[in-house]
Amino acid sequence: MFFSHGISRRRVAAMLVLAPFAARAAERGAAAPDFTLPGPSGPVRLADFKGKTLYLDFWASWCVPCKQSFPWMNDMQAKYKDRGLRILGVNVDKNAADAEHFLERVPATFALAMDPAGDVPRSYGVKAMPTSVLIGPTGQVLEFHAGFSQAELAAREREIRQALKLS
Amino acid sequence: MLAATLLLPGLAAVTAVRAEEPPEGVIAFKYGDYRDSQPGWDRIRVHSPQLYVLAPFADTWSIEGSVVSDSVSGATPRMHTSRTGATPAMSDHRSAEDVKITRYFHRAAISLGGAYSGENDYVSHAQSVEARWSTEDNNRTFLFGFGHSGDRIDNTNSGGSVEDQHRQTREWMAGVTQVLTPNDLVQVQLTRSLGRGFYSDPYKDFDERPDSRRSTTTLLRWNHHVEPRDATLRTSWRYYSDSFGIRAHTLSAEWMQRYGAWTVTPGARYHVQSAAWFYFDPVADAHGVPDQLATQLRFGSISGYHSADQRLAAFGAVTLSLKVAYEFANGTTADVKLETYRQSSHLKPGGGSPLLDPFRASFVQLGVSHKF
Amino acid sequence: MLSGCAGWGHVEAWEKGNLAKPSMRLDADPLDTRFTQHVYTSKEAASGGGGVGGGGCGCN
Repeated sequence: MFFSHGISRRRVAAMLVLAPFAARAAERGAAAPDFTLPGPSGPVRLADFKGKTLYLDFWASWCVPCKQSFPWMNDMQAKYKDRGLRILGVNVDKNAADAEHFLERVPATFALAMDPAGDVPRSYGVKAMPTSVLIGPTGQVLEFHAGFSQAELAAREREIRQALKLS
Repeated sequence: MLAATLLLPGLAAVTAVRAEEPPEGVIAFKYGDYRDSQPGWDRIRVHSPQLYVLAPFADTWSIEGSVVSDSVSGATPRMHTSRTGATPAMSDHRSAEDVKITRYFHRAAISLGGAYSGENDYVSHAQSVEARWSTEDNNRTFLFGFGHSGDRIDNTNSGGSVEDQHRQTREWMAGVTQVLTPNDLVQVQLTRSLGRGFYSDPYKDFDERPDSRRSTTTLLRWNHHVEPRDATLRTSWRYYSDSFGIRAHTLSAEWMQRYGAWTVTPGARYHVQSAAWFYFDPVADAHGVPDQLATQLRFGSISGYHSADQRLAAFGAVTLSLKVAYEFANGTTADVKLETYRQSSHLKPGGGSPLLDPFRASFVQLGVSHKF
Repeated sequence: MLSGCAGWGHVEAWEKGNLAKPSMRLDADPLDTRFTQHVYTSKEAASGGGGVGGGGCGCN
């Protein structure tokens, strides 16, 4: 499928861009680290989302809460797309087939990208799976969440609405 | 009556990866069949159906519980392994339930548990509390647990002479689980148990045991995933020592091998223990065979603690096991496990207690479980 | 390589795919553990350490 083609050149590009950020975590207020990753229809860059509010989610086929976070993210993407919300799920499975198998059972209607080497989660200082980062239109980190729980749904939607300047 | 112990409910169930989120739900049923024998006679047969449920609820809670209903039949020796004068063949029933409620926080969890076990001569109530929390990178998890159990022993219903005896046990546990590599997880646990009360076995002759038992257990576990083979090697070592004078090592290893939806797990366990200081060996006759009368004469009139219970003797024991499981696409798994156990003085390096017949047991478990 | 183990005991969150497998759980089959622990507790003098099921048992 679309995740199986060679990514070595892309990965080198991602590494070079990220090298100075390797040790720093993404903090609220700081600029979100740049990245370029392969996606199903060509490369996906952080710059592509400039002017939009980006909900960046790091996920894997083996992460149990992802089975619940995906339907919610599908809802959020549909609900706030016209208001400027974009969701990007970055998969970190070493084996692309595992990611595809997960997507067959738990489909995603938001954008996807692959990072099996883990360079992007490293640059963002990811400590738990899943982790989501809310990035504003000028590229600054607004919120950073480790883990996912049904108990947090209302609070997260409030944060998205706030970022989109909705009531 | 078997040696009763307090085992803190579910202290082992920690995954370093997600100690802080409610797990997926599980419902499982298992049927276990156990039989043991010694040369020349069958001893005990146990049928043991069990049910287990684990259910997350209200986003940050989970409840877990199990019910088991054992049917036991057969007889056991009254002294050492001698068949003559065994307890009368009996049929007994034991039921046990346990429940545990857990509240999950960010990278931490607290659980409260209770357990009950009852049969016609023995009732046990236990309570426990445990806490665990992980470091920010989730590579290390700390565990603490405390448990208490109160037991009542009374066999006057079946014509016995033990009336309304009690025993209280308190147990403390501390442990650490550490992720070493993407394929290695290790855990060390220390448990200290202090008990007071009635420890003697009402069905054994000349059985008079101390009224307190203090023990320390160290457990080391290592799970190692072998990626090129899609298999996991699971090993453990337990060292146990107590105030009865028992010193025991238990080593176990199993190889979980996946073949698509099948998982085949061969395993082996070796246990070796020293005898309790108040355990006494049988007296042999001129042919080197245990002489029950001579043994009774020798020990029947001594004061102080003494026991001829085989379980407190020095011996080694080996278990070989094989488990085969199949995982269906809908999250249901079916499994069967066969185990064969042999206990003997000859299985202890240097020899164990003399004049004990080897003891064999075999057990089978058939199970079905479903994730939801 | 930038990715991979940065040291003993320091494993990144996205590298934990294998650790999440059911075979890597410390208590992979709770009923199996309860049953076999019960058998060994009734036949040997040592007990516990790994904890499962509360209370004792007094069956013959």
